[in-house]
Amino acid sequence: MTVYWRRLGSGLVAATLVAGTAAAQRPDSRLERLDSITRPIVAALVDSARAAALPTEPLVQRALEGATKRATADRIVAAVRGLALDLGHARHALGPTASPPELTAAAAALRAGAPAATLTELRRVRRASLIVPLAVLTDLVASGVPVDSAAAAVLSLAANARDTDLVEFRRAVERDIALGAPPASATAAAVANAAVQVNAGARQQRPGRP
Amino acid sequence: MFEPDEELVGRVVRQLRRPVTVDANLDARVMEQIARLPARRAGGATRATWHWLTRPRTVRLSPLSALAIAAVFVAVVLSRPDRLSHPASTGAREFSFVVVAPRAATVSLVGDFNDWDAARTPMQRAGKQASVWTAVLPLTPGRYRYAFLVDGVSWLADPAAPAARDDEFGTPSSVVTVGGS
Repeated sequence: MTVYWRRLGSGLVAATLVAGTAAAQRPDSRLERLDSITRPIVAALVDSARAAALPTEPLVQRALEGATKRATADRIVAAVRGLALDLGHARHALGPTASPPELTAAAAALRAGAPAATLTELRRVRRASLIVPLAVLTDLVASGVPVDSAAAAVLSLAANARDTDLVEFRRAVERDIALGAPPASATAAAVANAAVQVNAGARQQRPGRP
Repeated sequence: MFEPDEELVGRVVRQLRRPVTVDANLDARVMEQIARLPARRAGGATRATWHWLTRPRTVRLSPLSALAIAAVFVAVVLSRPDRLSHPASTGAREFSFVVVAPRAATVSLVGDFNDWDAARTPMQRAGKQASVWTAVLPLTPGRYRYAFLVDGVSWLADPAAPAARDDEFGTPSSVVTVGGS
């Protein structure tokens, strides 16, 4: 009887290991939307990211975006590869405890031109999630705010500001820029205003809108 | 009458008086034989099944078997097809997406939250003749890229949202960021 159970256990372990290995090597079924040239390259990039303990979902989504937009194989592969590199740099800057959404936001910030040191400093000064501060930093740079100004502004607010405060700060900057203010000046003015509001605790929950 | 043979009687008595050595494992062997006997089914199959199900027993498991069971459990969890789906239902907030497309016949919302699948989130007209299209989605904290696909061919960014700067595919996209506080 003991021998029987021992053999059964060994068989189960072996079968599970084989099945688990096969499952791990099986490419994401969503990648079947890619063409036959792009699919194996993207699958390999995804596997490499998984082996490096990086989030793979952003890579899959970037590849699917390219497929839906009918981008060429070269563009899709370049986009996925670039994002994988950015995710690696993001983790190096934020540390191993960063969540996948934080890494995704940090990768976008790095791609926008934010220095890695800024990301590391953000991690140090803010206990809460870094998703919104990093996204605001990226969006400000996309709006034309110089990277140094945007980084200094976000760092000055990140320690105490809530996510909603930071989103409102970004909206204020974008509004002033749209009205003709130079991006750096708009940022400085919005930082002063936001800092007053954060310190006074004048916070208001806004309805969900991008 | 029968006269007993004294010698025979003497032999029998001597045999009976001899001390008998009983095997020390006798009890165990007898109980084992009893346990192998088929159990009585006085209450029928249902009662026997219920008794079998409810009777407490000690399960002995070798470390190897425990490892095997744990490995099977992990394999089942890992092989779930929805494991990689991005937006989880926990901690999600509803977001409204709005776009004005007066001459559009169909508008789809596509992005990181729905695998960029144009069939997944068709937008609805705000009214029968309205040119405003809307969609509401639950999103967990994160940064999502998205765009509107008009009539299946034209890409449109959200004018009310930040533009995606890292757009390598030559068509406009927007970004929505969902925070937690």
